[in-house]
Amino acid sequence: MSQGTRSKQNTQELRLQVNGEDKRVEVETGETLLNVLRDKLRLFGSRHGCGIGYCGACTILVGNKPVSSCIMLAIQVEGKQLTTIEGLSQNGELHPIQQAFLDHSAFQCSYCTPGFILTTRVLLDENPSPSREEIREYLVGNLCRCGSYYNIIEAVEDAAVRMQASKHIT
Amino acid sequence: MNVGKAIPYVDAHERVDGSIGFTINMEVPGMLYAKVLRSSSPHARLLKVDASKAESLPDVVTVLTDADFGPDSDMELLYGSMKGDQPVVAHDKVRYVGEPIAVIAAEDPVIAENALSLIDVEYEDLTPIFDPHEADAEGAPLVHDEFGTNVCSYFRLRHGDIEAGFAKADRVFEHCFYSPPAQQFPLEPHVTIASVNADSATLWSSTQAPYPVRESVATVLKLPEDRVRIVVPPLGGGYGAKNFVKLEPMVAATARKAGRPVKLSLSREEEFVTVTKHPAAVTIKTGVKADGTIMARKVDIHWSGGAYADTTPPVARGGGVTATGPYRVPHAWVDSRAMYTNLPQAGSFRGLAVSQVVWAYESQMDIIADALSMDPLEFRLHNLIGEGEKWVTGERMNDSHYKDLIHEVADKIEWDKPARSEGHLRRGKGLGVSLKATITPSTAHAYLKLDHTGTLWVFASSVEMGQGIKTALVQIAADAVGVPLEQVRIVDPDTSVTPYDMTTSSSRSTFSSGTAIKNAAQNLRSQLLELASGKLGYDPANVEITGGFLRSKNASGEGISLVELLRRTNHNELFAEGRFETQGGLDPETGQGKASEHWHQGAGAAEVEVDTETGKITVLRYHAASYAGRVVNPTNVRLQNEGNVVYGLGPTLFEEIDFDNGQVANPNLDSYPIPSLEDAPKHLTSSALETPDAETPYGVGESTLPPVAPAIANAVFRATGVRIYHLPITPEKVLRALRAKKEQSE
Repeated sequence: MSQGTRSKQNTQELRLQVNGEDKRVEVETGETLLNVLRDKLRLFGSRHGCGIGYCGACTILVGNKPVSSCIMLAIQVEGKQLTTIEGLSQNGELHPIQQAFLDHSAFQCSYCTPGFILTTRVLLDENPSPSREEIREYLVGNLCRCGSYYNIIEAVEDAAVRMQASKHIT
Repeated sequence: MNVGKAIPYVDAHERVDGSIGFTINMEVPGMLYAKVLRSSSPHARLLKVDASKAESLPDVVTVLTDADFGPDSDMELLYGSMKGDQPVVAHDKVRYVGEPIAVIAAEDPVIAENALSLIDVEYEDLTPIFDPHEADAEGAPLVHDEFGTNVCSYFRLRHGDIEAGFAKADRVFEHCFYSPPAQQFPLEPHVTIASVNADSATLWSSTQAPYPVRESVATVLKLPEDRVRIVVPPLGGGYGAKNFVKLEPMVAATARKAGRPVKLSLSREEEFVTVTKHPAAVTIKTGVKADGTIMARKVDIHWSGGAYADTTPPVARGGGVTATGPYRVPHAWVDSRAMYTNLPQAGSFRGLAVSQVVWAYESQMDIIADALSMDPLEFRLHNLIGEGEKWVTGERMNDSHYKDLIHEVADKIEWDKPARSEGHLRRGKGLGVSLKATITPSTAHAYLKLDHTGTLWVFASSVEMGQGIKTALVQIAADAVGVPLEQVRIVDPDTSVTPYDMTTSSSRSTFSSGTAIKNAAQNLRSQLLELASGKLGYDPANVEITGGFLRSKNASGEGISLVELLRRTNHNELFAEGRFETQGGLDPETGQGKASEHWHQGAGAAEVEVDTETGKITVLRYHAASYAGRVVNPTNVRLQNEGNVVYGLGPTLFEEIDFDNGQVANPNLDSYPIPSLEDAPKHLTSSALETPDAETPYGVGESTLPPVAPAIANAVFRATGVRIYHLPITPEKVLRALRAKKEQSE
């Protein structure tokens, strides 16, 4: 590739499932997953923060694993199922974790919120009633610069209770 | 009543579903992407900037350099809210590593980025100056040759007779405390989109200060201010980083040259060269009587302001005026000198200017208490300024709650019970208290519109950056007019729509915009009463407006809805404006006068555990308290009070920008960590003190942030006997101090 120009040769078609929908998207081999989500799939709930996988603002789920989409190449998720914050609410109803974050005002600027909510979903899948210490440990890779951590912990605890309750109902 | 209730954020739904529209998500049809070529030298003459190769690339639309600002140019090179000292792109000289030299606008961001290396720049290096004391010395290299000095701003305060004060003291203490540069680190970077036509410009920008930005952009584009429109979507964090003008002139100038809209979104590395926290060396000398009465305090502050003024003048003033603390100091002397240096410009930082001086005076309070064998709480209480007393500016301190606040935090961490240490895990408790001015004088305006559907529209230019200002203002407006909360809408700041407000900073918005809204509401209610008293026959002296209805006070029934009132009087809508202005100011020679409309008062108490084998500090618990006047929303107040503590822990324990010959050596999280859940105190609690029946919200803002560093340092001292003077309090510094102490005692 010559300086200053952009080669369109190193592109390929990527097939993947995003929030339950099949997608085909043309990506460059060196393109990050975050870039594809935001610029090509127009999913702006995944946020660009540090760009090096430390802040967690770009967290999405690949299968059921939280990943930093800013340091993952798009071509690595060929054929995979992705969940972004846009895929969490169902029929206009907020997911119980989202509702708990809302009720506890577990944010200030909320730039980090989608990342926290998605990581929490995996935490509660793995551990339906985590202790405070377990919540702290699991969410340590998501940073909230406004410092809303205590509201976040309370929201996660409450989300755990709500999700347990809804399981009993169904 | 809505004021005082824990109402969720008005935009909470879009915050949790991720759909909230930050500037970084925005696009404008036909827009180009900008990338910035930045200086690699801290101080150099620019011999050549040749962008012809980059400009000739097919998808590069334009390159902005200082050649675009010649004598016949349609653009002005220099701008700045405090001093017009900053060039849109470097001209003749570069003054810091990272200074913009050229801006490339291309069809694609990757192309723009790649084209940067094709710009040919030749430098002739000059001697850089980084240290503010060295910059202040005779014969120092000049950052701005034409100014003939490196002094950017100088504030002084003279109160009483300083030498006589020291002469009356039994003991005199002098120490120097240092705060390093740090980065505000909003997770959303600075983003600006500009669209410039022949005679107008529109910018969407992540700024805390739409009106000052409008003024600077108008200057650079040589347009009247009313032809420039600044629209501000919600911010993904600000913390001062986005206060006053930042990228906007550069992006507007590039868009004019390109003839197309341009978007610039900074990388994390660029954030570190766009704005920083002022490094400051604070030398504080205090004379006390043997009984612990402070007689005199002399403070010298040297701030490093970086290459351009940005918000340095208010920092020198705000830090300078409060440098003796919320104490009774009969003889005070402050010299606060902010210097130009060859570093990126320092600007507003959450806890503006005050964190650096509170670090000094609250650390020294404990040193003195220890030397006098006094309890640090008692020593403070003995000297804290009380209600109505005169302070070092000569103004009376009304609504003074420092004693209540420090009692509150001390009680909450059980100050009277000693911390328990075991083996190498030493525990201790520490306190801190602070005061902070709000910009005075300042002005805020607000409009209210009641439309035919009964919706009350609030127009204010306070920027929503996560502090919840929209929610607070909606609560205030609903009560002030008398309509249900769900019928109130608030408009995002847009200088073509929302009225003038100085800035969203200085913990001022709830108070200033809130009061402007109340004044507008009074006006709107008068209009409603007048309409009702006309052909509808209500007695204006005997009606009330609540819940969207107007009714006679003693009558039964629900009265008339405001919708119906407008319909019956043939009004589609009613409009009202309100304004709030504070007066004050200080004498430039003596610092005497009125520094602040009211005072932001905060206190904190920490219990820490220090591992004396590793130097690691664990904050076991922390209680923060601020004075709120009237709490508008307890949830949001708690978020602010506790968020300040978490944020403040960074610069206290580990945040420090490492400059290597002017170059940032740690411009991202791999080498510049910020507090995570693991760093947050194990127990964090807070309180907001109110005055019963208080009408006016003070806004809690940053009040609880400045005490964090000294409260923790004081706790570390009480745990281990070692005193740290230089932030951050890293394990290395604690270990070194422990070793030095051990060697001394051996």
